[in-house]
Amino acid sequence: MVEGVWLWLTLFAIGSTTILTRGSFVLGGEGARLPPALQRALRYAPAAALSALIMPDLLLDAGAFDPANPKLAAGIVVALAAVRSRSPWLPFIAGMGVLLLLRKGLGW
Amino acid sequence: MNESFKRGAREGLTLMLPMSVGLLPWAIVTGVAMRSTGLSAVESLGMNLIVYAGTAQLGTLPLIAAGAPLWLIFITALVLNLRFVIFSAALAPAFHGQSWSKRLLSGYLLVDGLFVLCADRLLRSDDPHWRWGFYVAPAMLCWSMWQLGGLVGVFGASVFPKDWSLEFMTTIALMVMLVPMVKQRAMLVAALVGGLGAVLLRGLPLRLGVIAGIALGIAAGFVAERWSEKRRQAW
Repeated sequence: MVEGVWLWLTLFAIGSTTILTRGSFVLGGEGARLPPALQRALRYAPAAALSALIMPDLLLDAGAFDPANPKLAAGIVVALAAVRSRSPWLPFIAGMGVLLLLRKGLGW
Repeated sequence: MNESFKRGAREGLTLMLPMSVGLLPWAIVTGVAMRSTGLSAVESLGMNLIVYAGTAQLGTLPLIAAGAPLWLIFITALVLNLRFVIFSAALAPAFHGQSWSKRLLSGYLLVDGLFVLCADRLLRSDDPHWRWGFYVAPAMLCWSMWQLGGLVGVFGASVFPKDWSLEFMTTIALMVMLVPMVKQRAMLVAALVGGLGAVLLRGLPLRLGVIAGIALGIAAGFVAERWSEKRRQAW
């Protein structure tokens, strides 16, 4: 865990990316243009980044590859809920419900 | 205050109101996620104010929890926010002639929903006062909803028992953002390669696996797009 002064420094570093990206062209003036190829490649950045953060949490257990773990089961339920329902709460309720049931109810 | 500023503000608020309410669940979940990661209430509220970007906040929490180095957290946040460069480039002409401080505020406030709802009309108006009202009023509404929901989440988090694995809410929130994106095939390729890349490369030093996975995912999405275009042309 990052703590204390380092944590605040980290928060400011993360916050600086908010200004750097959102402010980039708004602050830099409208003269500059983004190359079209770069613009197209950038569209894939959020999906690749989100997945690179999600999959290790779902597929790894204590650092080792383990496809049979309660988080993956809960993750599959979350994906189904997110595809099937338009309710913003359902994926959270269903995912946490399955995880808690498997971990606390069945002791997995 | 200028008449056309007020008119712009009123129209912007009317347009934004339904979507801004939809921000509340996100803000609450993010508030709970920050607290379950181990941030104090003050640190969590500080993050909400300083960062004000849900994806970057949720995405960096696992790295903060793991004690990852500062530069890695910075780069990950930068990648998660990169889409805003595109929004910023598209919206820039709407701030033509505005002062630097207003542009800085506009940058800080530029969230996804604001761009989706307001960009089109913003770029078609030639009245700078109307444009400023039409941007800054709904932007402040989104900001208030985010901070309000964050407060509820941050102080509501302690209601739940400690051993409820609430940190998993972060992963769920990231998944809920990802699922609508991957309905397009090239985007799905980018996500699969990015995710599996990060899992397979987890052994790299300095937790570089996450960054390497993201880079591979972006490249794979780009290649998949090119490839499907070529195939379409061949038909």
